[in-house]
Amino acid sequence: MNEELQSEYHVIGRPTPKKDAWLKAQGRAEYADDIVMPGMLHGKLLRSPHPHARIVSIDTNRAEALPGVRAVVTGADFPGHKYGNLPNTRDYLPLAIDTVRYLGEEVAAVAAIDEDTAEDALDLIEVEYEPLPAVFDPEEAMDSDAPQLHESAERNISAQTAFEFGDFDAGIAKAEYVREDVFETQPVKHGMLEPHASVGLWDSSGKVTLWSCKMSPYVVWRQLAMGLGIDLGNVRIVQTFVGGGFSGGKQEAMPIDFCAVMLSKKTGRPVKLVHTMDEVMTIGHMRHPMKIWLRTGTDKNGRILAQHCKLTANGGAYSSIGGFSIFLAGAMLNIPYRVPSVKYEAYRIYTNNGFCGALRGHTNTQICFARDSQLELIAADLGIDSIEIRHRNAIQPGDETPNGFRIGTFAFDECIDKVVELSDWRAKHGTLPKYRGIGFGCGSHISGARLMGHSASAAEIRVQEDGTVQLTTGSTDVGQGADTVLSMIAAEVLGVEVDDVRFARVDTDSTPVDPGTFGSRVTFFTGNAVKQAAEDARQQIAEMAAERLNAAPTDLMFRGREIINRRNADQRIALKDAVRWGAFQKGRVVAGRGSYAAGDETIDVKTGRGNLSPAYNPSACAVEVEVDPATGQVTIVGFWGADDSGFPINPLAVKGQVIGATVMSFGHALYEGLIRIDGKVMNPSFRDYKMPLTTDIPKLADFQHQNVITVEPEGPYGAKEAGQGAGTGVIAAIANAIYDAIGLRFTRLPMTSEATMQELQRLENQGQAPVE
Amino acid sequence: MTYLRRLPKFDFVSPSSVAELCALINGASNGDVMLFAGGTDAILQLRRREATPRCVVGLKGVPELDFIEERHDGSLAIGAMTTLRSLVSSSAVRRDHVVLAETAAQIGGPELRNAATVGGNIAGALPCADLPPPLMTFGAEVKLASSKGVREVALEDFFAGYEQTAARKDEVLTEIVVPRPAPASASVYLKYHDRQSMDMTVVGVAAFVELDPDRNAFRDLKIAYANGAPTVFRAKRTEAVLRGEAFAEEGLEAVAEEAVAEAEPRTNSWRADPAFRLVLIKNLTKRAIRFAWEKAQARGKAQS
Amino acid sequence: MNEAITKIASVDILLRVNGVQNDVSIKPWRTLLEVLRETLALIGTKRSCGEGQCGACTVLVDGKPINSCLYLAVEAHDREILTIEGPVDGDPALEQIQQSFVEKGAIQCGFCTPGMVIATKSLLGETPKPSEDEIREALVGHLCRCTGYVQIVEAVQDAAGQLGSKGGD
Repeated sequence: MNEELQSEYHVIGRPTPKKDAWLKAQGRAEYADDIVMPGMLHGKLLRSPHPHARIVSIDTNRAEALPGVRAVVTGADFPGHKYGNLPNTRDYLPLAIDTVRYLGEEVAAVAAIDEDTAEDALDLIEVEYEPLPAVFDPEEAMDSDAPQLHESAERNISAQTAFEFGDFDAGIAKAEYVREDVFETQPVKHGMLEPHASVGLWDSSGKVTLWSCKMSPYVVWRQLAMGLGIDLGNVRIVQTFVGGGFSGGKQEAMPIDFCAVMLSKKTGRPVKLVHTMDEVMTIGHMRHPMKIWLRTGTDKNGRILAQHCKLTANGGAYSSIGGFSIFLAGAMLNIPYRVPSVKYEAYRIYTNNGFCGALRGHTNTQICFARDSQLELIAADLGIDSIEIRHRNAIQPGDETPNGFRIGTFAFDECIDKVVELSDWRAKHGTLPKYRGIGFGCGSHISGARLMGHSASAAEIRVQEDGTVQLTTGSTDVGQGADTVLSMIAAEVLGVEVDDVRFARVDTDSTPVDPGTFGSRVTFFTGNAVKQAAEDARQQIAEMAAERLNAAPTDLMFRGREIINRRNADQRIALKDAVRWGAFQKGRVVAGRGSYAAGDETIDVKTGRGNLSPAYNPSACAVEVEVDPATGQVTIVGFWGADDSGFPINPLAVKGQVIGATVMSFGHALYEGLIRIDGKVMNPSFRDYKMPLTTDIPKLADFQHQNVITVEPEGPYGAKEAGQGAGTGVIAAIANAIYDAIGLRFTRLPMTSEATMQELQRLENQGQAPVE
Repeated sequence: MTYLRRLPKFDFVSPSSVAELCALINGASNGDVMLFAGGTDAILQLRRREATPRCVVGLKGVPELDFIEERHDGSLAIGAMTTLRSLVSSSAVRRDHVVLAETAAQIGGPELRNAATVGGNIAGALPCADLPPPLMTFGAEVKLASSKGVREVALEDFFAGYEQTAARKDEVLTEIVVPRPAPASASVYLKYHDRQSMDMTVVGVAAFVELDPDRNAFRDLKIAYANGAPTVFRAKRTEAVLRGEAFAEEGLEAVAEEAVAEAEPRTNSWRADPAFRLVLIKNLTKRAIRFAWEKAQARGKAQS
Repeated sequence: MNEAITKIASVDILLRVNGVQNDVSIKPWRTLLEVLRETLALIGTKRSCGEGQCGACTVLVDGKPINSCLYLAVEAHDREILTIEGPVDGDPALEQIQQSFVEKGAIQCGFCTPGMVIATKSLLGETPKPSEDEIREALVGHLCRCTGYVQIVEAVQDAAGQLGSKGGD
């Protein structure tokens, strides 16, 4: 099927190297920390040593007097406007003014002739704090006598969501089998290699420019304007190459950005600030740790009839995107399995920890861990085969879920079967040697979301007289390959090569406004916009070529950089010649425009009803593990995954995305987790916050992934998302594999060797040998 | 909360001989001078401002410290500035002391091993250091040089306390001498850590076994631990359980129980629960002794 | 702060980087990474974890990969240093490795790439036909958060194969 479609296209479907890969391979890609400007100063941020305190006073005199220091800023230098991600949860400030709410929160910043001097100056800033009682546990934070973090938030409730779809009470009453379990997940960091870095310039005309590694430059643009109290027209965000994003802060304006521009205002020079990695690990931006209570009722054949989920998310000190995070978790209960009735209650709680937001997979990752672990337990109790129970409940293409998701393509059954085949599941399950196990896990994701605010994308295409194509969008390439995929779409439509397309990085002065890169929206939303823009450009060129060739525009084919009359192949003109003629002779420059808004549907935030995304992906995987009974160490010895990402526009990039998501989930499952004691992060270092290395993945021969190819009519060339869904089923698969190996059921993450040994010891003490 | 900073200001000197080096540190007050071997730990201490020396003394320019020699009596002399990488690839080391190469190969990754040194791994006196345990089980000795002369200290007596050695302020560790092991013997070092590579050791167990082939017994047994106590230590009570005894599973259980009793892992570390460390000590002690036993037997068969 | 050390003089060193002699005058507390990036404007080598845990700052010193964030610039005096920018007159092995990385999809955000490529150059120089395990071990000091490593290992295998068939370097 893949080959047939491939031959239909000349660019789409071909494994295509990333457009900026050569630049990066040669070390010539300029990231924000690489920027050098004449007169540039270097900045550093001062951070609160207390998890909760009132700022009594800040004396910056000694710091300002240090030779080499050019300026110091504090919260008082900003207008005091709060900003944030959702209209009713704006609680960020550029720098703390009265109160610090987590250990590490930014309090002041210095600009100096070099970083060394800036660091020394931080030592000289005198901040008088009045420590306040702090609270770190969400359940304690909800007590009436807990310290309150934000005036408006009673019981420290940052956000709450409650949904009901279908008739839950009726559903659970019909259930012939019910079980409930509690799952807990840990704080997980993004772990991108590039720390946040920004260069700010506030020039003499009052224009603010920020060069930074932003995933959503227009979000930053608005937040910066809001926090600075200036007009949008005076703010310019220039996106640099992004050295890894995953929504770890690069999707919004951060104190580092505000300080870069304010220090520039005070000094009249560009100012660069770069986080050290331990700063990155200490500050907010991480996956919400959650406690998930899940009660599921099924019939005796394991068909889910009702599911009740109560969830508490430890949100940390500020809102970030948290309101949407818990909304999404509830929404994602509706796929990939058919759940006729869903009841969902969620609280996001403020605590004096670093704040939480999105991270690849968003809250879907925690939900899938809980749900697919429990599904295995249900299957075991009812004596139903692991694979069969998933097939019995699998959402089908064309379904409409109780909350209103309209499912287009969704080859879930095929993904499950493909994994069974690749992993040799039938031969292995139940027959592996002692301490070896295999587990299955499923997940899903969306292809972009219809959010309440800005969710539509636009694209602009110009075709130059040399036949090159200038493509601009406001979406960013953050390494995931959007630059190439979007260029491939444009190239396909216009009949040119991918190398003929120039993809511009975002500059808010010149690219079309856009939500940015998150939620797996870019290939789908922006891709559709690019396709439309390219078709628009093609139409304009076709009209000009038609004039030149004396043919009808509708008879013209665009192939191989040429425009050819279908009816008479002798009538042809080079694309560039048609463009040139049009511009030179007619003043008609080619300027294609396209947009995509996924229809007019809206989501009802209160009830959770609505078709959140134009397309949905299922994901399935199997993991084989080996457990060392002497140490509890879990080694992943095999992984087989299959996803329906629609039609892979760039198979080379899709492969990188699904494997990358998978390996991130390995870390999330086994090694990662911020360890916090009284609000202090004990392991803010890659040494102690352990992410998978080359030796932590299975041998290549045992690490396989395949796409189950569908053609999603809504997607550009049939494509759907491919960067997040693949990781969502992995953690449950690992938990299920460990259970298969040693009879140990993990309901808390991470599944460390220490926890494994504690359990094995406990079983040994009780005279129970682990299950083979 | 300390964030990593740029390095503090310091003067840097680079002696070219041991004599010059000793003269430099002679009379230096505490904290004034810092010896800089591979730098992989030192740089981090400096960046955290755990140390702010006036003068950093670089040792990379002292060729007398970078060597691996087989002495005439079969012992191995390793210069303090030998990198871990040199240890890994040395045929001299692999002849009779292959466990040292195997251990070094598990420390960090290639980049770290190209800089980190044997001397640094020992003189840092960290309880989680990996080379000291197998070295101790060989009965290694460190050589300490100063302007006053040279003296030897048995490695098992070298660690005075957490991050403290028996070296005086004016002394520098110049080499470690590792005796040739008995013929019917083998050495194993098992290091537990969460990921497959790179991690700091949670618990490390070194076991040296010398066979009495006629009696199928342990003629000698030496055991040393990383992260079983505030310092790397040789577990003499534990060894005594099986020394001279025949090989038996019950014996291994008994040794493991004694090891758990003799060890005193840190109770206040967030990195690992002490109960977990004790379980590792118990299980890995048995495994290490068993592996060493099997290796010694295989070696014995190969030689006969 | 120690009064006596506030006036420490700069040190003149010779840094031979990518075949080019650079006479630089730097303070003794500068790391090799800082001098490469900030004094010599060779920004290809990246500043990331600062602790030798991620490998993004890897360069070759006398042919051996080291973490330049943990190496004092003064100690690199008179040594051969190779960074990702490579020699001015080219390096066929380096270029083949870069090409393989590009073609096999081993590059996403690109931040780990310079370190990975430099480490690969060293690996293939010593072990022209590395096994999969040898490749993993050689790159174990290099974190990548984007790719999950599979395409990186494949790129190294491809480079080894290509260099092998060309008669190697």
